[in-house]
Amino acid sequence: MISINNIYYRYEQEGIDALCGVSLEIQEGEHLSLIGPNGCGKTTLIQHLNALILPRQGKVIIDGLNTSDTENHIQIRSRVGMVFQNPENQIIGMTVEEDVAFGPENLQLPTAAIKERVAEALERVGILELAKRNVEHLSGGEKRLVAIAGVLAMRPRYIAFDEPTAFLDPAAAKRILKIIDKLNTENVGIIHITHNMDEAAMASRVVVINEGRVSMEGDPQDIFGKVDLLQEMGMQLPQVTELLIRLKLDGFPVRTDIVAMEDATEQIKLLVKTR
Amino acid sequence: MYHIGSYIRGGAIIYRLDPRIKLAAVIVLSIVILAAKPLPSVFLGLALIILAFFSGIRLRTIAQAVKPLLFFIVLIFFVHALFTEGNAFLSITCFGLSLSRAGLSAGFLVTWQFLCLILAAVLLTMTSPPAQIIAAIKYYLYPLKLLRVPVDVIAVMIMLALRMMPVLLSEKERIEIAQRARGYNEKKSGFILRIKAFLSLTAAVLLGVFRRADELAVAMEARNYQQDTRTSFVELRMVSTDFIALFFLSVFFFIFIALNYCFG
Repeated sequence: MISINNIYYRYEQEGIDALCGVSLEIQEGEHLSLIGPNGCGKTTLIQHLNALILPRQGKVIIDGLNTSDTENHIQIRSRVGMVFQNPENQIIGMTVEEDVAFGPENLQLPTAAIKERVAEALERVGILELAKRNVEHLSGGEKRLVAIAGVLAMRPRYIAFDEPTAFLDPAAAKRILKIIDKLNTENVGIIHITHNMDEAAMASRVVVINEGRVSMEGDPQDIFGKVDLLQEMGMQLPQVTELLIRLKLDGFPVRTDIVAMEDATEQIKLLVKTR
Repeated sequence: MYHIGSYIRGGAIIYRLDPRIKLAAVIVLSIVILAAKPLPSVFLGLALIILAFFSGIRLRTIAQAVKPLLFFIVLIFFVHALFTEGNAFLSITCFGLSLSRAGLSAGFLVTWQFLCLILAAVLLTMTSPPAQIIAAIKYYLYPLKLLRVPVDVIAVMIMLALRMMPVLLSEKERIEIAQRARGYNEKKSGFILRIKAFLSLTAAVLLGVFRRADELAVAMEARNYQQDTRTSFVELRMVSTDFIALFFLSVFFFIFIALNYCFG
């Protein structure tokens, strides 16, 4: 379990308080979405999970390991993987397999074990055939998959994704989301930062961060039911929720606490039948 | 688009050779190239071209590798051509420079040697995944560990340099395109405007380098990078082909010394 207890963080140079008393618990195997306006502290928060930054006040405990204790960092970073927004700046190797091997090499595994992990990670994201390819010759979506494989090769229990579908075409984004979903079914805890509310609605829990604080927390239906509060923060709703709200405003008797396409389809089918 | 330092997949024997053999070959070849007399030097260059051909490396790729260095190649040629002493057949009086037969031969020889060096380096980097080259460098530098030289850190630095080189080159190309998209035309611009455009390009690329370096360092830390405590994905193992290559390399080296002595 990841336990974030009342953490504060300040970027001293910029004089910005990025996190002001955030508390959160994330269970193993949970799929959590972090949403909120730009600059609200989402990325700062997930960087605490990997001990990349340490809280000025408060504690972050990963499976009983305190991130403030530097001796725990190797274990913490093996347990929590990070997939950054721009794969270009996190791919270290020049070929796909070299990059995926970087993490296991740092874990000081023997060559045979590294090779096994590289093949396994590439297989899990479905790019085993790209193993020998130069990363420069890959598409944006493929680079993102390499970045995910690089994290998977460390066999983490939790993975934090920072806008994993940003700048991708719909097909590549769908592929990434499918992988995230599959990882979650394999009991990997997912912490997913997104600005796409349809993606956020895929999670089992949504946490809204605003001005460095947790402003709302709950299941997607609860959160996206609070339309006024979300709009106040300048955030959008999942497309299906927005459609149902518009129908309701026009006098159609539909539920508006729906975030999934399948449920929305059922609502509309019901509406058509009753008419 | 090929950049120096890029690895391109291939199936020729050279791709399968142990990187230590290939690295040793490049080092030996570099010494030999620089020590070569004109005629052996021509044979050496031709041998490298034949090797490149049989490795499946196209002439266009070699040209792409040479292109960014063209300015230096031309500069090297003229420096040698104009400053080598000999019987002048052409004098440029206002600069006090003269062109001699000896100068021209020296210019051609050094340029040819330089091209051969580039070709040898291209052959190595194109046919070996960078991790293998780094493993070979680490292998040869290993004794320095006794003198507390941070061999592993050096290896990672080389890896990052190789990784970032094509990234920075494409960033430079992107910025140039952005400049052109906003109306900058190099051919029609005056000297001052060209200097300004060059400075803004340099500043943008440099800022990009620092930003990337920062993000890359964070990404490395996130994946548990610790200095001096890494194992390697690359397993270096000599097989029969490598021993045969080593044998031919030694034979070639002795033949070359003999040839160089005869033609000297």
